[in-house]
Amino acid sequence: MSGLPSTLTAARAPLAVGLMGLAFVLLALSGVAFGSTWIPLDQVAATILGAGEKTQKIIVLQLRLPRVVIAALAGGGMAVAGFLLQKITRNSLASPGVLGVIDGAALGVVIFLAMMSNESNALVTSIAYQPVAAMLGAVAAISLVFILAGRQSSSAIRLLLFGIAVAAVAKSVTMVMMLIGPIYQTSQAARWIAGAVNEVNWGEIQITAIAMLPVMALAFLVARKLPPADLDEVSARGVGLDLPVFRLLIFALAAAMTALSVAFVGGVGFVGLMAPHLARLLVGRNVYAGLIGSFLLGAIMLVGADLIVRVVFAPTEVPAGTVTAIIGAPYFLFLLMGRQRHDG
Amino acid sequence: MTDSENRIEVQSLSLSYGNTAVLKSLSLPIARGKITVLAGPNGCGKSTLLRAIRRLHKPESGRILLEELDIAKFNDRALARQIGLLAQSPSAPEDMTVEELVRLGRYPHQSMLQPWSQNDSTALEAAMEGTGVAHLRSRRLGSLSGGQLQRVWIAMVLAQETDVVCLDEPVNHLDMAHQLDCLDLVRRLNVDYGRTIVLVLHDLNLAARYADRLVFLNDGVIAASGTPEELMTEAMIASVFGVQSMVITDPVHGRPLCIPLRTGPAHNKGDADAARS
Repeated sequence: MSGLPSTLTAARAPLAVGLMGLAFVLLALSGVAFGSTWIPLDQVAATILGAGEKTQKIIVLQLRLPRVVIAALAGGGMAVAGFLLQKITRNSLASPGVLGVIDGAALGVVIFLAMMSNESNALVTSIAYQPVAAMLGAVAAISLVFILAGRQSSSAIRLLLFGIAVAAVAKSVTMVMMLIGPIYQTSQAARWIAGAVNEVNWGEIQITAIAMLPVMALAFLVARKLPPADLDEVSARGVGLDLPVFRLLIFALAAAMTALSVAFVGGVGFVGLMAPHLARLLVGRNVYAGLIGSFLLGAIMLVGADLIVRVVFAPTEVPAGTVTAIIGAPYFLFLLMGRQRHDG
Repeated sequence: MTDSENRIEVQSLSLSYGNTAVLKSLSLPIARGKITVLAGPNGCGKSTLLRAIRRLHKPESGRILLEELDIAKFNDRALARQIGLLAQSPSAPEDMTVEELVRLGRYPHQSMLQPWSQNDSTALEAAMEGTGVAHLRSRRLGSLSGGQLQRVWIAMVLAQETDVVCLDEPVNHLDMAHQLDCLDLVRRLNVDYGRTIVLVLHDLNLAARYADRLVFLNDGVIAASGTPEELMTEAMIASVFGVQSMVITDPVHGRPLCIPLRTGPAHNKGDADAARS
């Protein structure tokens, strides 16, 4: 990029973020427009802004918009978690999955379904408690990672290794419980693990948004400290950043963001890896543009994936996570191969 | 601030890694506005001492005073405005630009309430000009040569505007030309910018050439300290480094120059005399 005039380079990050914002709005409107009946985009926008007749209002505001909003929040949240992790580990292959949070949440969901099912495979309590179980599982997993890592928690590599270990244990226990569990539980759990944008109500969206807000705000507040965290530990401490302490804070923020993202939607794959990576390619090294860009791209990916499954597989409900995985896995391979060429 | 001639005072500092004592009740004054070079055999504790001065290691006992204030009492950014450090093998992302790296030197001068200011811009430009890397500003670090890269790191430390600059073996991976280039730049930090320099160097002859004060460490204690002329004697080098040598005066710079002969702690006076004749 050094060939570009400096004004163009300086305008690149805001321009890219602006375009992503525009793409997101268009995609979100399309996400609401598509369904059993097509509602033109201008009517969608008008209904969201308060106009429109009653049935259309119900379809747009109660049935379709919540789904798009939760997809945007979850995709964006996962992407922000991935961005923070990729930054702090100085590794573009880091993703929210490595902290064990997602598999911990999955285990929480499976335990909830197993304990709350009766002999005829039906839930004895409301499915609305499933996100609570996911959240508890996520918190338990990340706590276990930090406890196991103990005094070595400030070392990125130790923490990642313990995260991977806890994730593996949670995953195998989840598998066992699904295999021996009742049928209802197995299909419901599989749906969560694949990552599906379920029917959520505005109350649940409110909870997610209100909980995400302080985490996002904190991420923005400490983003100022991310550039020196690009350095090796000695140099970072040399310019006055206590990197080991800062690293712990970022891991905790990423874990919280991941847990909140997956609680309602499930373990959507690869968004947390792809979105921040693409965002950094598009906006460059500015951390604020990186945070916003990651959120927007993550939102775009999950809203888009949900739109694809609704258009392609309707009326069957296929989890949106299958689409992100189908696109994400080759992207991951491509990244790995690029790195190999680069390293060797 | 005081008029004491010492910028830093290391007082009975002890430090260990696990059960291994690395520094043993070591005391050392660091003279204001001078280049102090720490030298000694591998594992003598010279890098540990340098890092302790920058508070990267917590002392077991003893303390380090900066202008008579205990460095343990400073907060991270305040200390980073007083003492800069060039790490032994610093690393930064390859796609970072030169200017972005040098900007990080301004990190301790900023906070939420103090965003990037005119002062920061001035210091940034001065640091890049002073180290001759201004024309590289938009180059990616990955595209630079080893010598250029080391200059950029020094520019970052210079932009930090600290009165004390610590450098841990800054010429380790450089060829002969870049070694001289780098150390000439360090000397300019001292002469032109009045910085107090603490330098760890492996090469005794480079140490003798650039040091105002030379400090020999051995086994966690100060073996000797003084001017290069005082310290660079055949007897001293034999006892600290276990090398028999001949020391002559560098005919160009007038500094002592050590010619190693063979390893062996016992100082045999005849050897050097025989080599001389």
